Amino acid sequence: MVDDRSVLELRGITKRFPGVVANDHVDFDLRRGEVHALLGENGAGKSTLMNILYGLYHPDEGQILINGEPVRMSSPKDAIERGIGMVHQHFMLIPVMTVAENIVLANEPARAGLLLNYAEARKRVAELSQQFNFAIDPDARVEDIGVGQQQRVEILKALYRDAEILILDEPTAVLTPQEAHELFEILKRLTDDGLSIVFISHKLHEVLEIADRITVLRRGKMIDTVPREGSTEESLARMMVGREVLLRVEKTSADPAEPRLRVEALRVLDDRGLEAVRGVSFEVRSGEVVGLAGVDGNGQSELIDAISGLRNPVGGRVLLGERNVSGAKPRTILDEGLGHIPEDRQRRGLVLEFTLAENLILHDYDKEPNSRFGWYFPRRVAEWAATLVRQFDVRGGGPQARVAGLSGGNQQKVVLAREIARNPRVLLAAQPTRGLDVGAIEFVHRRLIEARDGGEAVLLISLELEEVVSLADRILVIYEGQIVAEYGPDVTEEELGIAMTGGRGGGEEAA
Amino acid sequence: MTAGAEAVQRVAERVSSARAVGILGIGLGALAFWLALPPETVRTTPVPVAIGILAIGAGIWSFSRGERKVGGGAVVSGLIGIGGAFLVMRATPSNLGDVFVWSTLAAATLRFATPLTFAAIGGMFSERSGVVNIGLEGMMLMGAFFGVYGADKAGSWVAGVAIGMAAGGLLALVHAFFAIHLRADQIVSGTAVNFLALGITGYVYNDVYGNEGTPNDLPAVPDVNIGWLDKIPPHGLGQFLAEAFGSLNLMVWLALLLLPVAYVVMFKTTVGLRIRSVGEHPRAAETVGISVYRIRYASVTLSGVLAAMGGVFLSLGFVNSFTENMTAGRGFIALAALIFGSWRPFGAFAACVLFGFSSALAQRLPDLSTSQSAAWPVLFQTLPYILTLIAVAGVIGRSIPPAAVGRPYKKQ
Amino acid sequence: MSEKATPPPPASSPETIPSVAARLAFYQRAGGIITPLLTAVVAFFIGGLVILVTTHKNPLSTYRAIFDGTGLNWFFHVGSDSIGIPFTDSRLWFPWDTGSVAANNLQQTLIIVTPLILTGLAVAFAFRCGLFNIGGNGQFTVGAVVGVQFGIWFAGMPRPLHIVLVMAAATVAGALWAGIAGLLKATVGAHEVITTIMLNWIALWIGSYLVGFGGPMQDPRQISAPVTRPIAESSHLPIFWGNPLLQGLHIGILIAFGALVVYWIVLNRTTLGYQVRAVGFNAEAARYGGISVPRNYFLAMAISGAFAGLAGSIDILGWEYNLDLTEVQSVQIGFIGIAVALLGRNSAIGIFFSSLLFGALLTGTSTRNLDPSIFQPELASNLTRIIQGLVVLFVGADLLILYLWQVRGKLPFRRRGER
Repeated sequence: MVDDRSVLELRGITKRFPGVVANDHVDFDLRRGEVHALLGENGAGKSTLMNILYGLYHPDEGQILINGEPVRMSSPKDAIERGIGMVHQHFMLIPVMTVAENIVLANEPARAGLLLNYAEARKRVAELSQQFNFAIDPDARVEDIGVGQQQRVEILKALYRDAEILILDEPTAVLTPQEAHELFEILKRLTDDGLSIVFISHKLHEVLEIADRITVLRRGKMIDTVPREGSTEESLARMMVGREVLLRVEKTSADPAEPRLRVEALRVLDDRGLEAVRGVSFEVRSGEVVGLAGVDGNGQSELIDAISGLRNPVGGRVLLGERNVSGAKPRTILDEGLGHIPEDRQRRGLVLEFTLAENLILHDYDKEPNSRFGWYFPRRVAEWAATLVRQFDVRGGGPQARVAGLSGGNQQKVVLAREIARNPRVLLAAQPTRGLDVGAIEFVHRRLIEARDGGEAVLLISLELEEVVSLADRILVIYEGQIVAEYGPDVTEEELGIAMTGGRGGGEEAA
Repeated sequence: MTAGAEAVQRVAERVSSARAVGILGIGLGALAFWLALPPETVRTTPVPVAIGILAIGAGIWSFSRGERKVGGGAVVSGLIGIGGAFLVMRATPSNLGDVFVWSTLAAATLRFATPLTFAAIGGMFSERSGVVNIGLEGMMLMGAFFGVYGADKAGSWVAGVAIGMAAGGLLALVHAFFAIHLRADQIVSGTAVNFLALGITGYVYNDVYGNEGTPNDLPAVPDVNIGWLDKIPPHGLGQFLAEAFGSLNLMVWLALLLLPVAYVVMFKTTVGLRIRSVGEHPRAAETVGISVYRIRYASVTLSGVLAAMGGVFLSLGFVNSFTENMTAGRGFIALAALIFGSWRPFGAFAACVLFGFSSALAQRLPDLSTSQSAAWPVLFQTLPYILTLIAVAGVIGRSIPPAAVGRPYKKQ
Repeated sequence: MSEKATPPPPASSPETIPSVAARLAFYQRAGGIITPLLTAVVAFFIGGLVILVTTHKNPLSTYRAIFDGTGLNWFFHVGSDSIGIPFTDSRLWFPWDTGSVAANNLQQTLIIVTPLILTGLAVAFAFRCGLFNIGGNGQFTVGAVVGVQFGIWFAGMPRPLHIVLVMAAATVAGALWAGIAGLLKATVGAHEVITTIMLNWIALWIGSYLVGFGGPMQDPRQISAPVTRPIAESSHLPIFWGNPLLQGLHIGILIAFGALVVYWIVLNRTTLGYQVRAVGFNAEAARYGGISVPRNYFLAMAISGAFAGLAGSIDILGWEYNLDLTEVQSVQIGFIGIAVALLGRNSAIGIFFSSLLFGALLTGTSTRNLDPSIFQPELASNLTRIIQGLVVLFVGADLLILYLWQVRGKLPFRRRGER
């Protein structure tokens, strides 16, 4: 059903945020009846591009054409009126309302202009759902139906508004494989009906399964648009990851000793009560860096929380040295020798309103010499902070400066200083270089290797393949809450990329 | 798949807790009745009455959460318990006939419940749109004073009501501007608005009326006399109805009329759907083209107008004068009723009636009681707050507010 | 109080809402002392407009009259005089006349400042933990009721002991009362604003029952008045300035100053304060750092209540000596405490000055101290409330200040690149 007319064209779209160019002269076109995948790593600029298309952001440069006509979109309302529908990654649904109410919201069928004609609403929703074989109960409350069904409600919302272009932002991120499969069936039916679909993803096999054409973005730039025919997971991974200079870290080969952290058949639920970590087992030994690679949202956050005591596991064990710490309080685990560089330093890792010195003792504020019998000694804390500031080369303020005023790199140095200076037995480093510039990244990497060489067991959890490959002595790949593969340090990024997107790549399958 | 099962389980839990509370209420009502029955063992009324009120509270609670049969049963059983308690009281020789007791109590309950109802319904609009309104108290006070002022200056109670409502709406607009546009903390802004109302009404009152107080010949909101009520047979019932409902103020009836209207607007119209969507998930509402700011402004202003009507009733419909700070915390009781009634009009109204009943009892029991120490009825005044405390504590099933209430929204 | 019971924020709200503590810390950075001053000036300016429009009098001379009633002008009358050393008969040279009318007024102001400092602290301490204690009224009432009862009991005790005992009891009572809200917040997450409002009214009506007609605490010798018996002499706070028979200044003010110091020390020099501040600024980071968030919610509320409870007892022991029904039913001091804490930016020194401001306003506009021919005290006291409202309103709106700053070009507020 694909024909050659473009229903949508983006020309030279550029969008800058302070400090980054999210989209750098991106061209993109969508033909009638096709599924056009937008492929790229996290932070490649996919979501920005789609938010521009949906009227949520305004491009700094470039043009949007719909059916050949240039348009300006200043709000989602404009986009809806021009036949664009969007299924957000985080559903825009109201949990306590029914399916029908969610779908008709703001375009309700009304009696006497004001009274909500609910019967009519549910009739239309039922018809629409029947037409596309969705099997959705219009009267069910959204909070009572499954995630896959909720996604269909989102799609129906767009169809109800007569969308001709449907944007799906990482639609499979929250779905099980079966649900994803059902979604693909639906998408095929929709394109048969003449809809055009933009499919945003970073999972290679999915893109190859569903897309007619594939556009690859990398660091805000459009790399290429290729047809599905002739593309392979390898060729796409190469385009997605790129062949740019790697940040090589000088390091000797590892000399692992006794196991310091053991995770055994761990199972953890996420905030919605779904099992996000599904029986994970591994160990980290003294003197090695174990890298955990994976696409965002495959259970890494829940795993981190469970190891650090911020979330209770529902099954399995976490052993720190010989001690079973599963379900223990964060404080106990910290005192047992866990260092934890958290994923989100601003939300969790730092108290932004605190001074540098105060942040540096977040785990040890009640221990000598920082305090005694409940009395807190700011001067001693400041002295200690001054030492760390020197050691870790924190710039932008002394011990009494507020952390909020530091740059991202220096903020991360504060976190790093705090965690490493405690001489932990196990160092859990989650996304330690997220959002940092090259210099800061190098600094963090060097410190992590130093920690390893000092005999610590380092678990590195990162979305950046380069980082994992250049730092880790062993690499585990997590996919949908399970460890799916294990590699040595000389694995290629392509191999990793395929494994972490659910591909059936090489490598030794983990037990 | 697991999500579905989880959800079902969650719903099951919620239903069963509401049911359990309802059953508990029935039990409490029975206990109250049993305590009241043998007049020799428990001579005082407060114990069965208190337990009966608890039973009614439990009933309203589970009723507004979907357990209609059990909840209704608990309410009835609580009423029977209280009735029993009054029978005990009637057994003492110095008391008046039960018809008189009941009908005055019913009328007083309605009168106490009316200002609360206006304010609670107003609060419902504001909070359902996502803006916490602890400024209800101040908005009521604005209505109370400017209602009198308007009626006095314009010489008609209609003008008084209109001016009072406008004053409440204006104050609400201030709250709206700070809470919505400037994204101030909604609690801080509400507190500020309460101070302002206290100051403004007190200031103008003293400036205009000074030491004399408000004039005695204020054009009051009229009572509605329904003469044919006492013709209803049998004689006792007719007399009761006439005494209880025969000469209620017009605004009491307006409050009763407001309930179905508010219910329809909130749950049966497109506007109501949009208000609720903004209060639950403003981002989602905005992505389908709803203006979050406009909805919130309108809802908060409406809440001020309605709360002011409650205030107008107090001054022009009830006591026919104004005194400083005359709302005396009713805005907060209305807030409690709103929470207790689970942000629904009839639930809130039921809570208002229950709370009004507590006040009426506290006011009337000293006259009726035969015991020497007549201080204890005052304690009935604490019941609304204790019930609400229990409700928000979620000891017996949580009161769940609109998801986005209290969160300032930033347009994208 | 499970460590992990803290419910995750709803998935539908990706933005984090700054706590009041974080907002206030922001002002301190953005404007230091300028913004609170500006806030107060704007509030007084609007108040002046009100005076001008309604009375056609010069607002400045009206404010001057109010100011003269506060006794703060006492500091400007420098001369040569002498001062008595409290509790002795000896006198020393002193630049101010301690017996003048202004001195008398100043004593009245400081008597009101005393509970204002304490209730301001009660609000501020909770703010520092990210909690909004709107229940100062109730905690104050509980402290007053317990204070009266303990003041009546133990009549034979030595004076210092009795005073300490009464204040300790009231402090504990206030802490327990507020602790209910803290406990509910810590265990089931019930919002402290709602629970403290409810507790205010429960305290009010229980207090009314106890003190009112026929209540267990009503003075049996005065059947016609809803008032408690007076407290024993042995629990009266010593008066160190002014005539003891004409409501001189009692040592409560010194206790309030002490409380300011305690507040500062607890927050900045103890591990408890460290925890409270961490939780207030970023509860998630505190949890990650190994701090028990629920425990701190409870403790912060209890300590807040302790300050307010102490305030209740000091008023009783210092000058009221008994408690009557209207006092129970018209307590506003907890609400004024909110204004004090907000304007004082939760800092000890700020609370000192803002309570002095509000205390002076209250005294200066009282019937006793304001000349009715210049400005009617009834109007003036309501003007005070308007000014309080305006202060709270402006302090609560950080965007207003942001906008002001944006105009001044100091903070690039709009994101660049957005049209």
